[in-house]
Amino acid sequence: MEQFLAGAVTLVSNPTSIMIFIAGLFGGMLFGAIPGISMLTLGAIILPFTGNMTATDAIMLYSVIYCSGVFGGAITAILFNIPGAPENAPTAFDGYPMTKQGMAGKAVGAAVLCSSFGGTCSAILMMSATALIADWAISSFGPPEIFALVVFGIAVASSVGAATVWKGWLSVLLGLLIATVGLDPVAGIERYNFGFVYLLAGIHFIPTILGFFAVSEVFIQTEKSAAGTYQAPKVNLDFPSFIDFWRLKFAVLRSVVIGFFCGILPGIGATLAAFMGYNEAVRWSKHPEKFGKGELEGVVSSETANNAATGAAMIPLLALGLPGGALTAMMIGVFQMHDMEPGPLVFVNSSELVWVVFAAMFFANISIFFLGWLQTKTVVHLLRIPFHFLAPAILLIATVGAYAVRGLVMDVFVMFAAGIVAFYLRRSGYSVAGIILGLILGKIGEQNFAQAMQMMSYDMVPFVSRPIVAVLLIAAGLTLFGNLVKEVRQIKRSSAA
Amino acid sequence: MKKFVAPLLVAVGFGITGVAGAATDLPDTMEKPGGFPERPISMIVPYGPGGGSGQVARGMIQGVLDHSGIVVNPDYKPGGSGMVGLKTYMAAPADGYTVLEHIDDATSAFAIGKSDIHPAEDLIPLVISQITFSQIYIRSDETRFTDWDSFVAYAKAQDGKATIANVSGEGSMERINMNRTADHFGFKVQQISFDKGGPRYGALKGGQVDALFEQPGDVRGFLESGDFKPIVTFLKERPSAFADVPSMTDVGLDFVPLMRFRGFYVHKDVPADRVEYLKWLFQKAYHTDSYLAFNKQKFMDLIPSFRDTEGAKMLINDTMEIYKQVYKDMGLVN
Repeated sequence: MEQFLAGAVTLVSNPTSIMIFIAGLFGGMLFGAIPGISMLTLGAIILPFTGNMTATDAIMLYSVIYCSGVFGGAITAILFNIPGAPENAPTAFDGYPMTKQGMAGKAVGAAVLCSSFGGTCSAILMMSATALIADWAISSFGPPEIFALVVFGIAVASSVGAATVWKGWLSVLLGLLIATVGLDPVAGIERYNFGFVYLLAGIHFIPTILGFFAVSEVFIQTEKSAAGTYQAPKVNLDFPSFIDFWRLKFAVLRSVVIGFFCGILPGIGATLAAFMGYNEAVRWSKHPEKFGKGELEGVVSSETANNAATGAAMIPLLALGLPGGALTAMMIGVFQMHDMEPGPLVFVNSSELVWVVFAAMFFANISIFFLGWLQTKTVVHLLRIPFHFLAPAILLIATVGAYAVRGLVMDVFVMFAAGIVAFYLRRSGYSVAGIILGLILGKIGEQNFAQAMQMMSYDMVPFVSRPIVAVLLIAAGLTLFGNLVKEVRQIKRSSAA
Repeated sequence: MKKFVAPLLVAVGFGITGVAGAATDLPDTMEKPGGFPERPISMIVPYGPGGGSGQVARGMIQGVLDHSGIVVNPDYKPGGSGMVGLKTYMAAPADGYTVLEHIDDATSAFAIGKSDIHPAEDLIPLVISQITFSQIYIRSDETRFTDWDSFVAYAKAQDGKATIANVSGEGSMERINMNRTADHFGFKVQQISFDKGGPRYGALKGGQVDALFEQPGDVRGFLESGDFKPIVTFLKERPSAFADVPSMTDVGLDFVPLMRFRGFYVHKDVPADRVEYLKWLFQKAYHTDSYLAFNKQKFMDLIPSFRDTEGAKMLINDTMEIYKQVYKDMGLVN
C-alpha cells in the first residue's frame, strides 16, 4: 500500500506525467475504437518519441494506452457491430442486438462499468502478487494446458448464436477450417494458399470479423430498407441499474478470474480472455439460448474479461520479461530504448517505475468509468444518423480498418467476401460468432497442440496424464455431451408437439 | 561435406572480418540526387514490431533521423516467415522511397526454393547492420544438467525426448545448426518452434522445455537476472562477453556456424544515383551514436556487425552456398 501511494504521488505530482497519462487515456480510447487502426498502431507511431521521455513516463504511457485501448473498441462493437479490436468481438455478439432493441445505453453503460471494474480488479491483483503469479503461470501452463483450455472453449462455441447445435458445430468447424489457411505452425508447410503468397500469412481475423459483423449487417439492413421494413434503433441513454449488475455479479466475478488467468499466460492475452469469458457465461447460464440475441450478460462477461487481462498481461512482462501480446512486446522495446530490461531485476532496480505504472493502470481503469459514462451520454446519439448516411460510413470505416491491419488489398476482398458469406449464413441459422470463435481459437489451439505433441514425442499418454489437461478435456467432453442431450430432448419435444 | 565446408569457413571468416571498417571512409555529407528524397521514406519490415527485426528497424530509423533528419516510417508486414513483406516490397514502385528490412530468412528461403527473390541479385543490400551468433541456454537452477557435457549425456539418455525451444521451421538457421550439433554428438532432440519470444522464453523459464536455442541479445534480461545461462556458443572462438562459455571448437564441433543477420535493401531497379545516396545514408546511420549504442545493448558489438554493400553480398552469397549444400545433404533440394 505504501509503495502504491508513493507511485500515485509521483504520478500526480509531475505535470508532464499527468499530461502523458491523459494523452494515453484518450489516445488509447480513440485508436481502440477505430477498427484496424488499433492501439497497436498508436503504440508503433509513438514509439520513436518515447526515447525523449523518462523511462517511467514512457512505460506508464503504454500501460495506460493498453487499458483504455482494450475498452475503446467496445463502443463501435455495440453501436454499429464493428468491433474496434478482436477482443471486442464477443461484445458485439449481444451488444449490437441490444442496440437494435433500443437498449444501446444499457449495453454501452454495462461495457463501461465492467471494463472499468475488470481492469481495476486486475490492477489490484497485479499489485498484490506479481512475481508469485508469474512463476506459477509459466510453470503450470505450457502448450498442452493451453491447448486443453482452447478445447474447453471450443466445446461451448456450438451453442452460441446458432439455430441448432449441428449448425453451431458446422459454424465452428468452418472457423477452424479458415484458421488452417497459411503456413502450418510446425514445419511451415503451405496450406490452402493456391500459390498466392499473401495467403501464406493466413486469413487475418480482423477483416473477417469486420466482414462477418459490419458488412453483413449493412447488407441485411439495406435489404430491409429496400423492402421498406427497416426500423432505426431507438436511442436510449438509460444506464444499467444496480439491480441489473447485482443480478450478474457471478458473471462479472467469473470473468474477472477468467480474464486475469488468460492475461497472465504469455502469448494469449485479452482476445482469448474475452472469448473465454463469453463462453463461460453461456455455459453457466440458465438460458444459453438468449445469448447472441441481446443478452446483457454477454456484454458484461466479454468486457469484464478483456479488461481483466490488461493488468494480468503486465505480470509476465514486468516479472519475467515475457510479453503477452503485441503491445506488451512493444513495451520491451521501450524498456530497451532506456537501457533497461524488464524482468525480476526491474522490481529491485526500478521499483519506483513499477509502482508508478501500477498506479497509472489503476487510475486509468477508474477513469474509464467516468469517461465511459460521458461517452454513453454522447456517442449513443450517433444512432440518430439516418441509415442511408450511416451505411456508407460503416463500409468506409470497415474498409479502411481491413486495409490498415497489414496494408494488404487482399484483406479488403476477404472482408467483403466474409460479409457476403455471413449475409447468407445468418439467415440460414448458422452462427457467425461460432465461425469467429473457431477462427481465433483454432489458430491458438493448433499452434499449442503441435508444440505439445513435439514436447511429448507424439505420445498421447503423457499428454493427457497432465492433471490440468485431463480436467479441462473431461470438462470439455461433458459440455459436448450436455449440449447433445439438450438438443436431442428439444427434438423429441418438438416432434411430440 | 567437410571438403565443401573448409573453403567456406575461410570465405565466411573473411566476410566477417574483412569488410568491417569500410563505412568510415564515407564522406560526412552527400548531395541529394535531384532532391531525393523529397518526402519521408517507407520501410517494409516483414515481421512484427516487437521482435528483433522490428527493433533493428526502429534503431536504424532513429540513426537515419539523427544523421540526416530524414524521416523513415516503418510498415510492418508480418507473415509467411518473412515472405509476405518481401513480396509486398517487390510489388512497390522501385523509386527508392520504399526500402526493405530483412534477415537471413530471405537467403535460406531462396536456397530452399520457397522464394524466387535473390537478396544479393534482385535486391541491393544498403547495409547489413546486425550479425550475431547463437547459443544454447538452460535454466541457471537446472539440476539434471549444468553444462554442455552433462546436457549431451542427458539428451542421449532421453532417447529423442529431450526438448529445445527455438523459432522457425524446417530448414531455418536454428534447425540446421541444432541438427548438425545433434548429429555430431549422436543424440536426438525435439525442436519446438515458438513464433513469439514471450512463450519461447517462458517455456524454458517455466520448465516446459529442457533448453533454448537463441541469440544473446534477445535474452539479455534473463542473463543479467541470472535466470538463464549459456552452455555453448556457436562460434569458433569464445567472444569476450562469454569468455567462460565453451565455443564450438572447445566442444569439438567443426562445422561453419550459420549466423543470424539483419540488413536493409532496395530493389535493383531503383535509379543508381538514389541507390548510392541510400547506401551512404544507411551506412552513416549505422555509425551514429544512437545506433551503435542500440547494437551494443543487443550484444551486436561482440563480432563485427557492419557490412557495406559488397560485404553484404559476399556474406549473403557465402551463406547461400552453405544453405544449398546443407539442404542437398538433407535431401530437401536436388
